[in-house]
Amino acid sequence: MARAPQPKAQLTDAVIAKSFAHTVATGDIVNFRFLFISYSPLRQDSTEDINSPKYEYLLPPDENDPLYRSAFDLMRNPEILAHVRAQLNRQGPPQLPWEPLMRLADNAVRLNKLTAAAQAYEILRVRRRIQEEFLAQADAALDAGDIERGVRGYVMATGLDYDYAAFPEPLPAVPNYQERALILHGEYPKNPEDAVALQPSEEHVRTGLHYLLRNAEIAGRLETRPVALRIEFLQHWVHQTDPLWDEFAARYRKACGLAKEYGERLEREQRAEQGQQTLADEVEAARDTRDPRGISAALSGRTSLELEWWQYLKDMAYRHPASALFVTRQIVAKDLEIVMPRFRSDSELVRRLGLEAV
Amino acid sequence: MASDSGYVDYVAVLGLEPDFKPADVRRVYRKKIKDLLIEISQVQVTEERRNRFLLAIAQLNAAFYILRDKDRCEKYLADRAQVMQIEEDWRAQADKTEASDQFRRQFDQALRDFLSVYMEELMLEAGRDPECVENSNWDAAHERHASSVLRRYRQQLFHEIHERLPFYDITQPVVDWDERSRFVAAIIAGEGQ
Repeated sequence: MARAPQPKAQLTDAVIAKSFAHTVATGDIVNFRFLFISYSPLRQDSTEDINSPKYEYLLPPDENDPLYRSAFDLMRNPEILAHVRAQLNRQGPPQLPWEPLMRLADNAVRLNKLTAAAQAYEILRVRRRIQEEFLAQADAALDAGDIERGVRGYVMATGLDYDYAAFPEPLPAVPNYQERALILHGEYPKNPEDAVALQPSEEHVRTGLHYLLRNAEIAGRLETRPVALRIEFLQHWVHQTDPLWDEFAARYRKACGLAKEYGERLEREQRAEQGQQTLADEVEAARDTRDPRGISAALSGRTSLELEWWQYLKDMAYRHPASALFVTRQIVAKDLEIVMPRFRSDSELVRRLGLEAV
Repeated sequence: MASDSGYVDYVAVLGLEPDFKPADVRRVYRKKIKDLLIEISQVQVTEERRNRFLLAIAQLNAAFYILRDKDRCEKYLADRAQVMQIEEDWRAQADKTEASDQFRRQFDQALRDFLSVYMEELMLEAGRDPECVENSNWDAAHERHASSVLRRYRQQLFHEIHERLPFYDITQPVVDWDERSRFVAAIIAGEGQ
């Protein structure tokens, strides 16, 4: 015979405040909303129990964390706690308390959880205005010559962007460079000058800003600024958003070396076809059996040589978004295409990003 | 009176008088679409401009397609007036929880239906109308690209309207914008992180 379920112990204000404070401190919008839903472990009428080990993650692991302490003080506010209690006892969609949600959004910004922050600000109906505030202050910093701050403002503003075209409903715009890089290289460059990496400096910078900022309107705000400033902006953007860029730059330089060697090999093969092969060429040709996909593998940091060019490109753009601006597609055999490094030797951006071979 | 913004007024898009005739619709539409196509041909088309121009063409096409047909026009004007009336009713009941919730649901559904029919479906349908195709050079490639532009446009309108409505899913925020500005300054300075 089935045993009747044990009645749930009365939930204390402390447990409720702790659980919410933890989500607020960690900028966790998903768990914040979860705590209100019909099967929330904080609801007295739910069969779920907050004391169960599976809900340990809803409680703070460190109660001395300053963000948590501050959030806990907020959640202990009698008015907020009473509102939360009322919502937990109510049937139907809850009405979220605005103060904890605003604090949650701010903490999410501090912790760089920008999509969570965007979602919370959107619920609060302040997202666009806060995004505009970041842009206005960033523009002021750029006017004052403080690129570091300017870039930080733009990074935050683009991170708070919303995708109103998302299906079935609008969602925070997530960085999707693995897809954007494919679009950037969607068309095979029939002439060398068609390659993104070989665009004239101003056009290349423009492409870079639109690709990296992911929002044509926001990128458009920078278009009236001098090229030199935009190049410096891109340099700071790459270093602020991609802490492992220098590792990629080292791989890029290595790939440049491999591409050069591969070029020499093609020249040797051409000489052989024309019957002008020397003994040295023959010796080199016998030794050199390397797969040209090694160049793409070196760029993306993969060991496999079995991938398609677009797989290397997606991988690379996912880890190092800006990398897609300095590579090109290249057909090397009838059914073999690779991604290889390519840049303009007069590019200031390439020099600043450490991609030029020493 | 509910705000007009968000419920796109196709009569105003074409700049027609309230007592317009079908012949006025055709004449004004042809002039406006011609002027727009000339403007497009004279500027360098960036991604942002392309989206804006696509939307402008789609709006003119939709305005022409809806207003030139008597039945379609009457239905559009009635649906628009109705959704604006429901918004007004809801605002009037906003402080009464039970009634407010009922009006909110009714309004939410009516608004979604209105926007998806008149700000998306009929805009795309207009692009397949032979007269619109002839005047605007709209083709399948435009439609493919416009579908995401229109979805974004529709959701943006929805959010614009939503933002001015009474708060129901959250307690009404009391935002101190000076404090917000200081918070943003601290984050940009790298202090808050």
